[in-house]
Amino acid sequence: MPALACCVLAMAGYLLSLLVKKVSLARVSTWILAASFVFLSLYLLLAAVHSTGWDYFGSRHFLSIYAWAIAGIYLGSQFKSKTRLLGAFVVPFILLLLIAAAGYGSDKNLVPPQWQSWLTKLHLLLAIAGEALFVLASAAGAMFIIQNSLLKHKKPGKMGRLLPSLGELDRINHLGLLWGFPLLTVGMIAGAVYAAFVWGGRWPADPKVIWSFAIWAVYGFLLHQRLAIGWKGSRMALLSCVAFLLFLSSALLIRFCFATVHNFI
Amino acid sequence: MIAVVGLNYKTAPIDVLEKLSAGCGREGNFPAGLKAIPGVHEILHLSTCNRVELVASADDDSRPVDMLKSVLARNGALTDHEASCLYAYRDEDAIRHLFRVASSLDSLVMGEAQILGQVKDAYRRALAENAIGIVLNRLMHRAFRTAKRVRTETGIAANPVSVSFAAVEMAKKIFGSLAGKKILIIGAGEMAELTCMHLIGNGAEEITVANRSAAQAEMLAEKYHGIAVGLGALDEALCDADIVISSTGSMSYVVTQDMVRSCLRKRKNRLLFLVDIAMPRDIDPAVDSLENVYLYNIDHLQDIVDENMKNRRRESLKAEQIVHEEVAQYFNWLKELEAVPTIVSLRTKAEGIVRMEIEKESGWMEGLENADREKVEALVNGIVNKILHAPVTVMKEESAEFQSQDIVAAARQLFRLDD
Repeated sequence: MPALACCVLAMAGYLLSLLVKKVSLARVSTWILAASFVFLSLYLLLAAVHSTGWDYFGSRHFLSIYAWAIAGIYLGSQFKSKTRLLGAFVVPFILLLLIAAAGYGSDKNLVPPQWQSWLTKLHLLLAIAGEALFVLASAAGAMFIIQNSLLKHKKPGKMGRLLPSLGELDRINHLGLLWGFPLLTVGMIAGAVYAAFVWGGRWPADPKVIWSFAIWAVYGFLLHQRLAIGWKGSRMALLSCVAFLLFLSSALLIRFCFATVHNFI
Repeated sequence: MIAVVGLNYKTAPIDVLEKLSAGCGREGNFPAGLKAIPGVHEILHLSTCNRVELVASADDDSRPVDMLKSVLARNGALTDHEASCLYAYRDEDAIRHLFRVASSLDSLVMGEAQILGQVKDAYRRALAENAIGIVLNRLMHRAFRTAKRVRTETGIAANPVSVSFAAVEMAKKIFGSLAGKKILIIGAGEMAELTCMHLIGNGAEEITVANRSAAQAEMLAEKYHGIAVGLGALDEALCDADIVISSTGSMSYVVTQDMVRSCLRKRKNRLLFLVDIAMPRDIDPAVDSLENVYLYNIDHLQDIVDENMKNRRRESLKAEQIVHEEVAQYFNWLKELEAVPTIVSLRTKAEGIVRMEIEKESGWMEGLENADREKVEALVNGIVNKILHAPVTVMKEESAEFQSQDIVAAARQLFRLDD
């Protein structure tokens, strides 16, 4: 898969750029990542053309779409801001997803027939987009924490020069939350509406549903604090990192320890 | 020979430098009579705040250099003792010196950008005076090239080495773009004004000046199209500002932690960058412990500047290597220059002979077929080229080894090129 190869190359470029402290390397890596994104888009497009209906939703494609969304959103953010180094924190996620898709994913459809509906598609795509935006927001938050401590200690040095400015990182964090939350909300509503049709009024204690709701509430709280109370900067960065870790651990926990209708991967 | 004669801030005290600079005309006025000095072919006059230098292409003995020195001493009305500050570099040393000057390696603040512009101006003036020929022309273009390489290939000019620019750099690291950022100046010191000027140059917009003396605040505010407020309105101004520069003569803190804390909520936690360049401090250091507030005082900025200066010195090693390469390249060209005219005239002479002889024999050659005539001409040219090949090659080789002069002279004599 050329997309995976490009992604490995981009990751190496970002790491090297952190190591030798040259932003030009990160700039090149961003272009390599863009190439990876193009390959991935072509791959998904071809798969979509060749498949009929729900064959499409094997775990391989599910993971690929996830990676594709994160890459696309990160690259999109690079049009508006010059935070090339941020890729160093975002690309590992893309890389892991692509590796999982290539090595472990299968083409076997995992969405059972009674779930196959356009609402499910909407639910999946919006949830993925929302979560991808949270990945970006949290990566920006993590980088903010590092840059913040460098600047607070009055020793910016080469690293401080290399990393993007606090203002830009905070803005990306803000935009990630601002767009990610409504997308996730609509995605979850779509899922809930469809679930109501299938399950009727009874809501089973699906762990994914419960956890998702909890994470959604945390993000909602963060966005509220940002918009209404005016939390900014380091506190926001820290909290979005914590929220993301919570999300990540819950996702892994559910994947490996519980049985759920959401077991795609 | 290429020579550089003059003095700079390293060899002469500032008053001598000023005397000479004034005597030679700081800007414009090319010292009259320089071109008329016997043995001097081309000349260029470089004069900045830190140096007065003459770059010349001259005959290969010590007289032109001595003459240049005495002209400088006379123009600057220097005493004998003062004239001993004058230095003279020749050949490779002179070329290296010029390249180092243009690359800002010889500057007071290493890596500063102005010197290249000043060297270019000097070059333009010399061009206008018709004082420059092929040797200095190429030399100057090589100097510009060297300076450009040093700038782009090394980090010698990368990071700021003045406190005010360091403050601007930190502001950029905090805010990203400075466009639309609001500046509050407390006190009206020179350094604060300088920093403010740089910030405006980088896109910052609204300026507020708070000062004990209203008149001075008004003056500064007017200069930058800002507004002036009294120190009483400081709390309010603090809530509005993104960047605060403080430099009052106050003996106690002008900005306290409580003042900043109380306005954090009102500013909706917008990032706040405070620069304290006053001695004693104006801003309570405890302010720095507040979230999203970044306080830098003059010591912090000076540390950054020192660090950057150290980096520049490290980068200057790379720069010296570039200068070394460029000097070698130019010097090679210069050396070949001596052999090249000889080779050219040798070829011209041989071509002339061939043309003459063929014309002489044109009578019987008329009877030949076109193709045959071309063959005869090719044969003759071939023989001549084969014979010339060895001497030309030897001259080229020797010129690269610094020993061309004897051989070039011999060739000129053997082939009677100077007749």
